[in-house]
Amino acid sequence: MIRLKKTSEIIINSAGLIITLTVAFLIVVILILLLSSEPVKSIYYFFAGPFINKYYFGNMLNVSIPLIFTGLGIAVAFTSANFNLGGEGQTYAGALITTVVCLWLPQANGYVGGILAIIAAIIGGAFLAGLSGYFKMKWGTSELISSFLISSAVIFIVNYFITGPLDDPSNNLLTTYAISDQYFLMKIFPPSRLDISIVLAVITAILMVFFLFRTHWGYEMRMCGLNREFSRYGGLNVSAYMIFPMLLSGALHGLAGGISILGTYYMCLKDVTAGMGWNGIAVALIAKNNPLAVIPAAVFFAYIDAGAKAAMLHSDVTFEIAAIVQSVIFYLITAQALYTFLKYRKRTA
Amino acid sequence: MAYLEMKNITKIYPAREIVANLKVDFSVERNEIHAIVGENGAGKTTLMKVLYGLEQPDEGEIFFNGRKAEIKNPMDANRLGIGMVHQHFKLIPEFSIAENVVLGIEPLKNWFFFDGEKSCLKVKEVAENYGFHIDPRKRIIELTVGQMQLVEIVKMLYRQVELLILDEPTSVLTEQQVQKLFDTLRNLKKMGKTIVIITHKLNEVKAISDRVTVMRKGEVVTVRNTSEVDQRELSKLMVGKYLFFDYRKEKLACGRVILEVKNVTLRQFGQERLLLDNVSFKVHSCEIVGVAGVAGNGLGELEDVLGGLRSVTDGKILHNGEDITNLDALELRKRGLAYVPANRLRRGSCLTSSVKENMIISHHHNFLNRGIFDNKKVQTFARGLKEHYSIDGDTSAPLWSLSGGNIQKVILARELASKSDFIIFSEPTWGLDVASSQFIYQKILEIRRQGRAVLLISSNLDEILSLADTIIVMYRGRIVARLPNRDISKELIGEYMLGLRDDFKEERIKESGD
Repeated sequence: MIRLKKTSEIIINSAGLIITLTVAFLIVVILILLLSSEPVKSIYYFFAGPFINKYYFGNMLNVSIPLIFTGLGIAVAFTSANFNLGGEGQTYAGALITTVVCLWLPQANGYVGGILAIIAAIIGGAFLAGLSGYFKMKWGTSELISSFLISSAVIFIVNYFITGPLDDPSNNLLTTYAISDQYFLMKIFPPSRLDISIVLAVITAILMVFFLFRTHWGYEMRMCGLNREFSRYGGLNVSAYMIFPMLLSGALHGLAGGISILGTYYMCLKDVTAGMGWNGIAVALIAKNNPLAVIPAAVFFAYIDAGAKAAMLHSDVTFEIAAIVQSVIFYLITAQALYTFLKYRKRTA
Repeated sequence: MAYLEMKNITKIYPAREIVANLKVDFSVERNEIHAIVGENGAGKTTLMKVLYGLEQPDEGEIFFNGRKAEIKNPMDANRLGIGMVHQHFKLIPEFSIAENVVLGIEPLKNWFFFDGEKSCLKVKEVAENYGFHIDPRKRIIELTVGQMQLVEIVKMLYRQVELLILDEPTSVLTEQQVQKLFDTLRNLKKMGKTIVIITHKLNEVKAISDRVTVMRKGEVVTVRNTSEVDQRELSKLMVGKYLFFDYRKEKLACGRVILEVKNVTLRQFGQERLLLDNVSFKVHSCEIVGVAGVAGNGLGELEDVLGGLRSVTDGKILHNGEDITNLDALELRKRGLAYVPANRLRRGSCLTSSVKENMIISHHHNFLNRGIFDNKKVQTFARGLKEHYSIDGDTSAPLWSLSGGNIQKVILARELASKSDFIIFSEPTWGLDVASSQFIYQKILEIRRQGRAVLLISSNLDEILSLADTIIVMYRGRIVARLPNRDISKELIGEYMLGLRDDFKEERIKESGD
């Protein structure tokens, strides 16, 4: 039932995004010209940095993996007109749960343990987001507010475990004990940190398209998102679609957290997943909730991040300048995407 | 020149292909109470929205107080001294009366802070000037509907409005509240205000207005002095000539009872007035029951209740003898409910999804192959409907790209694809052109021929008189007439609809044997 858009339509739709990108990059150049004493070098590393060697390139893709999962999580909720603002907490909880399961399981169980740990993270994330969906169905509580509040509380609870009962005193960082190396995900692009889970991310995005456009749950979910009164009239179980998409969204966030531990960090550091939830929202906005477009959108975010890191290492760009530049781009892109999104909602309302 | 002159106003809604106002001339004298009457969709509200700056006319000019007025938005209208009280109140329930009244032009303390004390004083002063006794500190949620309306009026008086427009002000009020409102309006007139009141209740026109403008199908039919015209004549002017569509409607014997509605009552939480008041009727197979009435008299509520979108307060609904009271749409759909709603763009369809996605809702499970849509089957089905109903448009295109008539055909096609023995049509041809309407009438008669039962809810009397076997008329949530459709004049139905006749005695159905 998916309709392929005409090329001309795509170009018109992307015109705004392209203009915003151009403006954002121009501002970046101006900022660097003002703030750096070696602007040419800084700009070079900012834009070309992620491509100069395998290490940077692979790491960039690695950063995009959790963003693909969280972006999909937000997109799937948006599609059914549910808003999950609790991505930060759900991802963080997923990371902690994965770590705890890996630490707690008996030794030498191979892949089984890793899979169990990921499943636990998925369930944890789904539960947290599902609560908001349940409250909405039961009492009409705005899921936007409740997911955010629950998530804010969860972040402190996770922090307590990391700095309290699970803290590794032998490590100088605020972190839990490290997990055993049997759970580590396979590296596929040495010397970079890129691991096999990127394949899973791409498969998930493809499955999501299939789910939304070919299965009857996907159809019902989209209809509920587009016009709730029509769905109710048509005999769809509207209240179920307040919970189910939230469960799915939370599950994807939990998965993002779990994968970050098994693939990249191997221990649950304090604030290990910070930003993944919020950036997932921006990714979904840029991708206009299209699951396949989430992949390039996530890679783009990772690219900006990698560029900033490369510029910091190789030129006189400081962390602060890199952070300012990064935020300028994020704000502009997100504002543009949000604008299109709101305009679209206004038209459909 | 009159106090207010609207000249040659034309307003077309291109999206819905509706001409709301066509070359309308409308004038009001200073210090009169002027009523505008007309059926639903006659263009009364649109005309007033143009005057209040909520809509921009495609053509025409407005002169107010002898000068040409440019009214781009309600603020402009307020500045000129024109105010409007909407049918649905625009008040913030958690705010106090004073806060609601001053909203937008609040008195300030030290150029910055909201001055609550001063607001209360000023609002009280304005209200008392006009003889209203209200406590400005009371919150809106503590008020009755009649008091809320008063707050809306005070809101306008606070803005020093000279011309006050009231859009169907009595539709939510009880009889006593209506009397109170009228006293208020007479009082305002005495104080020099000019009032325009939109209504379709003729007794109210007689009771309150000095002059009356009658509108029909976007045009002004006549302007009269109220004292020189009686209600019967007004009713005739409003509904127009009876246009009988010559359908070959064969005589069919009514079969068994398919749907039975027993003493259904609906009360909205916090409102004194009953939305549905002890409504009972039966629909047999091979029968079209037409429910006529003016908007706001329970037609929409009856539709909601039967469509499973609203629960009744009291009473029973039976389908083939089984109790289906308060089943929701999900359960009714499982039983095969088919229902063409009045609000076809919001409830009946999803404009942003494709034509075929609109065609399969409520029976989309039939197109699944192990949980996955069989696209070929969907496509074949959609093409079939497109051809059978001669729908103009691509089945993969979004629904909004279709015209109004074609959108209604999509809805009709989907609902008739169900094998239900009972079908609800609500305002099936509202705003459609003649050809599309004819097509829909043929379909309704075809269903009747198949032995199914049809409930036709409509404010279009021609439609009801042409199609229905039995006619039910509703007024203020009650059934005021139930007549077999034999030699009934349009005037008679019109009189029942407008509350001019009240000679029908409905007996409460006794609960027997259960």
